[in-house]
Amino acid sequence: MIKLQNVNKYFYKDEPREVHALRDINLTIEDGEFSLFSGPSGCGKTTLLNAIGALDSVDSGHIFLDEREITTLGEDARTSLRLKEMGFIFQAYNLVPVLSVEENIGFIMKLQGFSDGEITQRVLELACILEIDKLLKSLPNSLSGGQQQRVAVARAVAAKPKIILADEPTANLDSANSKKLMDMMRELNEKEGISILFASHDELIRDSVRRVIKMNDGALV
Amino acid sequence: MYSLIVKMAWKNSFSRLSRTLLLITMIAVSMSMMIGIQGLYDGMANNMLDKNKRSASGDISIFAKEYRVQKDIKYRIKNAETIKKDLEGVAGVKAVVLRVKADGLGATARKSSFASLYGIDLEGEEKFGKFSEFLKEGEISFDNRGALIGLELAKTLKLRIGSKLIFSTQDVHGDINSISLKINAILQTTNISLDSNALFIDRKKVYKFLGINDGEVTQIAIMGEEESLENSLKDKYPEYDVKSFLELQPMMQMMQDMMFIFNSITFFIVMSVVFVGILGVMYVSILDRIREFGIMLGIGMHYKYIRMQIFLEAIFVSLSGYLSGAFLGAVLLVYLRDYGIDLSAFSDALEMWGYESVIHGTIKLSYFTTTFAAIITASILSILIPLRKIKKINPIDVIKAEK
Repeated sequence: MIKLQNVNKYFYKDEPREVHALRDINLTIEDGEFSLFSGPSGCGKTTLLNAIGALDSVDSGHIFLDEREITTLGEDARTSLRLKEMGFIFQAYNLVPVLSVEENIGFIMKLQGFSDGEITQRVLELACILEIDKLLKSLPNSLSGGQQQRVAVARAVAAKPKIILADEPTANLDSANSKKLMDMMRELNEKEGISILFASHDELIRDSVRRVIKMNDGALV
Repeated sequence: MYSLIVKMAWKNSFSRLSRTLLLITMIAVSMSMMIGIQGLYDGMANNMLDKNKRSASGDISIFAKEYRVQKDIKYRIKNAETIKKDLEGVAGVKAVVLRVKADGLGATARKSSFASLYGIDLEGEEKFGKFSEFLKEGEISFDNRGALIGLELAKTLKLRIGSKLIFSTQDVHGDINSISLKINAILQTTNISLDSNALFIDRKKVYKFLGINDGEVTQIAIMGEEESLENSLKDKYPEYDVKSFLELQPMMQMMQDMMFIFNSITFFIVMSVVFVGILGVMYVSILDRIREFGIMLGIGMHYKYIRMQIFLEAIFVSLSGYLSGAFLGAVLLVYLRDYGIDLSAFSDALEMWGYESVIHGTIKLSYFTTTFAAIITASILSILIPLRKIKKINPIDVIKAEK
């Protein structure tokens, strides 16, 4: 469970161009949620996603992952938290270009110290679900956008994190690939029980998720 | 985990193949040239030292006290044959020769010049320093009043093979004596002093000529490189003046030091170029991938693994450069050792300074070990600035920048 209490975040604090990016956010996200932060551009949805993902700090308030407060953690502890508890899917896929699809999917598991046998088994399992099992030996650059995003999803899911944070995952995909991706992510959410949080203004995602958390001007509405 | 880091480092090292090959080529060429120059410098110095030892002082020389100051044959070693036999039994002594030297005047009908007469034993000198290798012209023989003459002295006195000259000096009683000699051979030792002044004749003739007894000499020269030998001989013969090669020829020490400085400067310049090369390539390579590193940090890869990856990338590239450079350098050194560089066009100037006109290189393991250490050090230093850049990355900035 993720719990946010009175979370505030400013950009350019104490400067004339100061932006109050997150305003008194109070929110609880239960395990296994399939939710979307929705709102117009600049409303703070990505900032909130990044704060939850321990990628960004907040200026005040508290964020708890289960019972652990993550806002007070040091840089190393935040990196470890991201590695062990979270999975990330980015708009630009961000795969490691010199590693094969198979190695990219197993990357986080490798960092976590899983054995080669466990990694191979899990990679194959995910590749079959995401229909990229024929591409395991390929390099990311030889794949289409949709295929790369599926590899990114597999990488995020592989180590079975508590939560996956997906920021505009369909932004670079056509509608057919977007729908396919959302179907797959929903299936993963249901099969694996992983919480998945999206930040997007894609209607397709809004129609797919079970909960929409609306934001405007940095506040929940 | 580490196998993945090694794999990523290896693939990244060669992912920009032309850039990496350019750097490897730069390291290899710089290194092989540097090794070649070091080999040549050392070859020049060693050749000069070797010839000076073989033709004159050996590793150690023994003189009568006062001889080196007074240059008078009354200060001579009287029981030289006994000492020679003793020395030949001393551990570390490889060869011993006895020489008698007298300074005087060499004269022809038209020319005269200062000259030093050396009474030597050809067989002993051959064993001591391969004396026949100094032959420039003629035949090494003392037959028929034969004498061997240094190249420059021959030029000064305008002597050829078969020419005659008179050498005059004071004998042990203070009387002026002369000896008529015929030139059987012209020698070039590249020892400036010998080439300019020396006349070599049979030692037995010199005894009679100078009025001294058989077995009395002015110098006992010893070959034997063990460092302890000099001190043990100083202890063994306190009544004599025991001198090492470098004490006798301080110019050689200075020249060795000078060559060391030349080598060090060359080494520093080349390594600086290598350092800047690796730094430039690593810096650009890391800037190219700054987003990749930011994302890796973002998804949970610890900085220490990224640092290790970059370190390995630098090592892979520099090691490839080193291995190529070591191979090219070895080939170059073998060529220089076996064939040398022919600088005959400058032979007069070179010989004046005691160098041969064909310069041969030497090969030392230290060229490769010090270069290895320097290249690895340069590669480690070169990644410090790029690593600092990565350390400062805030993953969120990279992720924002992608949008």
